[in-house]
Amino acid sequence: MTIHGFILRNALRNKRRMLLTVLSVALSLFLFVTLQTALRELTQPATSEEAALRIVVRHKVSLGEVLPEKYQSRIERMPGVAYCMKLTWFGGIYKDERNFFPQFGVDAEKLFPIFAESSIDPLQREVFIKEKTACVVGSKTMQRFGWKVGDRITLRGTIWPVDLELVIRGVYYGGLDETNLFFHHEYLDELLGKRGLVGTFWVKVTEPDVIPGLMERIDAAFRNTNAETKTETERAFQLGFISMFGNIKLLIGSISSVIVFTLILVTASTMSMSIRERSREIAILKALGFDGRQVCGVILAESFGLAVAGGLFGCLGARLLFDQVDMYSLSRGVFIKFDVTPHIIVTGLLVAAGLGVVSCLLPAYTSIRASVVGGLKELD
Amino acid sequence: MAIPLKYNLRNLRVRWRLTLATMLGIALVVAVFVMVMALARGLKATYVSTGDERNLLVLRRGSTADTTSQITRNEVRRIRYLDGIARNEQGEPLASAEIVVLATIDRIDHRGTANVVVRGVGPVALALRPNVRLVEGRWFQPSLRECVVSRKIAERFANCRVGQSFRTGKTTWHVVGTFDAAKTAYESEIWVDADEARKEFNRNFYGSILLRPVSTAAGAALARRMEQDPLLQVRVLPETEYFRDQTKMAGPIQFVGTFLATIMSIGAAFSAMNTMYAAVGARTREIGTLCVLGFRRRDIYACFLIESVLLALGGGVVGCLLSLPLNGVATGTFSWTTFAEVAFEFRITGELLAKGLGFALLMGVLGGLLPARLAARKPVLDALRAV
Repeated sequence: MTIHGFILRNALRNKRRMLLTVLSVALSLFLFVTLQTALRELTQPATSEEAALRIVVRHKVSLGEVLPEKYQSRIERMPGVAYCMKLTWFGGIYKDERNFFPQFGVDAEKLFPIFAESSIDPLQREVFIKEKTACVVGSKTMQRFGWKVGDRITLRGTIWPVDLELVIRGVYYGGLDETNLFFHHEYLDELLGKRGLVGTFWVKVTEPDVIPGLMERIDAAFRNTNAETKTETERAFQLGFISMFGNIKLLIGSISSVIVFTLILVTASTMSMSIRERSREIAILKALGFDGRQVCGVILAESFGLAVAGGLFGCLGARLLFDQVDMYSLSRGVFIKFDVTPHIIVTGLLVAAGLGVVSCLLPAYTSIRASVVGGLKELD
Repeated sequence: MAIPLKYNLRNLRVRWRLTLATMLGIALVVAVFVMVMALARGLKATYVSTGDERNLLVLRRGSTADTTSQITRNEVRRIRYLDGIARNEQGEPLASAEIVVLATIDRIDHRGTANVVVRGVGPVALALRPNVRLVEGRWFQPSLRECVVSRKIAERFANCRVGQSFRTGKTTWHVVGTFDAAKTAYESEIWVDADEARKEFNRNFYGSILLRPVSTAAGAALARRMEQDPLLQVRVLPETEYFRDQTKMAGPIQFVGTFLATIMSIGAAFSAMNTMYAAVGARTREIGTLCVLGFRRRDIYACFLIESVLLALGGGVVGCLLSLPLNGVATGTFSWTTFAEVAFEFRITGELLAKGLGFALLMGVLGGLLPARLAARKPVLDALRAV
């Protein structure tokens, strides 16, 4: 029998215990991976090369305040600006409050040049631009409500005292978020009586280098007016939103470490159980001439194998499960995507490997220290 | 006759290392469950305790939050002097036209900012909210850019202590007092004079009206009258209902808590099962002896199940104790309804602890069933022969 065979036999000798241990490690790593994925989805806004070219201009007091429309032409004339688009949060209700999804009034002709990572049928795009009550919708939201191009929908206003009657004229795919609905800002403004109020301006620059100077110039241009502005990069704007959710990082981080700690307890106690049963055999191994290091290696290999097997089940299981499940509709839109990335899987497996090593330390130490004669005397 | 409980306790003590490891595993599961649920409880409790049953809230029709509602000055004039609204000693109607705006303010550590609710209130606002009281400094005087802040805001945001001042847009507000709002949603607010707020934040309208009818019946009549008035575009609802509606925010947290606890407790039940199988294996001879002494298989079955439950309940108690220090710790989250940060406290209740112990009990039973069956079915002779 080779040493590998010996380790395998040992691991399999109590099949029930092995199965229970592997399963509990697998479950815990499944949770660990799920939590890490949730953390990543919630705290790291999707970025792209395009996003690095965009900046957001909002009212300095808060997002709840509006800016005058006339700012647009002033920003457009500044050097380095490729496009400047109005973007206003509508926050309407489609049939029921639970059907929440983001809706924005925008300048229709600038929408796709600015969000260039989203794609749309050019014909649909043309129709959308020409028709004032038209809207385009992300593919995920289309799917969620079973909408088709040509459908008419009504959005009941909660922030603005008007209802929008819209016709879906196009579907866009890809990009940072496939759940939005975009309609003509002009339509909203007309319903509101042409007051020229805008939530934010989204600016696309010609190249990233101009951003710092441009942000300062924009804020300086409107300083000491009734509506001072705050200009941020798209990423800072989104991170600002995320930070308001409270300390998610701390919460998820501490739960994850509790899970890992519990795991160590469970695996360590299993390992010490199975090694205590074998103290006689270990004594025989030593009597046969195996030294402490070799005995230790045998124990380590067994514990490592158990933990990594559990880890593989847990991590890959999570990956397979979340590939199948539609987390977007399951979480009612909280998670737009739920990608278990290779990075997270590797982290999970590393945790499992570390676990295998740490949990056999104490049992291995005891078995090395135990005297051969004492071990041989033991009956069981 | 049942096997004495002492037998189980002694056995748990003899194998103390294994007992401790299993117990701690279960304890951590229970602690995580209680803590996450305490977060949801705290958030809910904040909103539930905010509304006053006697009050009605008037919002613009279609609006879901006072931060986005608009009531015109004409509407305020029309509503204020309607019949059926209670009056104070000076004969003023108890109807407070208020405006709620959001201000972006630096956090106390200057790492990031958050939206904070700034509520513009009139003189009768306090009479309508008996749970708000001043604890430091004095109330603001109109038109001097003065404000009072809740204690939680003073603790969580920069330059919000009495004597300090902060800026929103072009206006610098001086903090002249701190109020305590008895853990209600007002704990997350800054209060200023309503008309001053309208001027400084360029609002030619109010946001909402909070009023107190003379009686419940008068309130129902008043609500009907306002909603049917063609000159008013408003929606009237009890203040309690408005805040109860916001407790649905706690839903996702509750879901996460239950999800985590369920999966973790399956894992912990596996580990309890391992421990109990080991216990049965090590005591094979004792089981045989018990049989010979005349204990029935039923008793042996119960004995091992009880031992498993004891182990788990011990873990449950430790878990509850571990979670207790979190009770009352302040935290905050973002409300999608108001678009502002809401501060609240972790709240651990007896019911929550009982639920945690219930989880532990379940783990004990699940972990003990199979090993106990194995113990009860051991053939007597084989068991006695086992060394």
